[in-house]
Amino acid sequence: MKNLKFGPAALERPVVQRALALAFVLLLLVSIAAVRPAFAAGPDAITPVEDFSKELDKLKKSFGDLGRKIDESTKAIEGYSDVEKARKEIEDLRGAVAALLDAVADNGGLATLGDKALGRAREKLKELEQDTRFKPEERAFLVEQWRKLRDDTERATQELGGARTRFAELLRTLQANEDFIDELVQIRQAQKVIEVIHQLTRDIRGASDQLQRLIGAIKPPGA
Amino acid sequence: MVAIATRLAAAAVALTALIALGACTPKEAGYVEIRTVPVANPATAFYLDSVKLEPLKNGTAVLRQGIGTTKLATDGTGGKLALCDIVVRKHRITTVTVSVLERPPRCMCRNSAPDGSGGRSCVG
Repeated sequence: MKNLKFGPAALERPVVQRALALAFVLLLLVSIAAVRPAFAAGPDAITPVEDFSKELDKLKKSFGDLGRKIDESTKAIEGYSDVEKARKEIEDLRGAVAALLDAVADNGGLATLGDKALGRAREKLKELEQDTRFKPEERAFLVEQWRKLRDDTERATQELGGARTRFAELLRTLQANEDFIDELVQIRQAQKVIEVIHQLTRDIRGASDQLQRLIGAIKPPGA
Repeated sequence: MVAIATRLAAAAVALTALIALGACTPKEAGYVEIRTVPVANPATAFYLDSVKLEPLKNGTAVLRQGIGTTKLATDGTGGKLALCDIVVRKHRITTVTVSVLERPPRCMCRNSAPDGSGGRSCVG
């Protein structure tokens, strides 16, 4: 039996239906957005390696930006006798280092991509070694290419591990200095505070030099 | 009828918001560094709250973690065994070394502070 309505209820119905339809479309859009990357990474063998390579390039650029930020902060902090300003500068620098640590963290996007790329290259090598579709020389060529890709990716992920350690160390240095400045401010040893700030500038200048070497060392797979 | 439809629409919108929230990573985050001494066997499982971690590479991991207090645990004989509380603060790293030779494994905090329950938590 149909429940037909007339009068005001009939006028309200399209509005309610529209609200429901809108909610449904919104739900669908969010679901599609969440599912899409999984499909994108699926069938194409080279995609994980390419993605990793692209992200590494982006990261390399970010390393450069952080190097500049460290140098600028070092110069700025050196000139400060105002502890609050220096502390703010250190806090900003912590934010910048944290942003990069985000990318290289073990549960971060790049490390996950690297693991995926490495897994794909290893899997592909196994497949090719048992593949009978190609002539021996063709198969040897393909195996050689994938082997090279796997080795490059392994090297790149190792460099990433190095970057992770460096950034974690840098973040620890920054927060230890910041905490020490806070403690000193509390006991009002202003001169000592300035000395600590100068020590920090030397520390982060050293980190900047190491960062420059790191930028030079990271090579995207296949480069 | 209208009330039911409105409730349905509200529920759908709430669900949408929940899905969207779940898809986002928290913006306010800090880091947890876990080191094991001696280097733990990759088969040793660790958990941050209820999330099982990927096997540690060379016995070490640096993980992005939402700010707040999180529990580090490992597998024990009768289920999960809580090791220690870790306080994660924005843009800061909290380092904890786990001595896996001891039974049960023991947390050694680089920095620690008293927590509310009379114990101590690792802090960054």
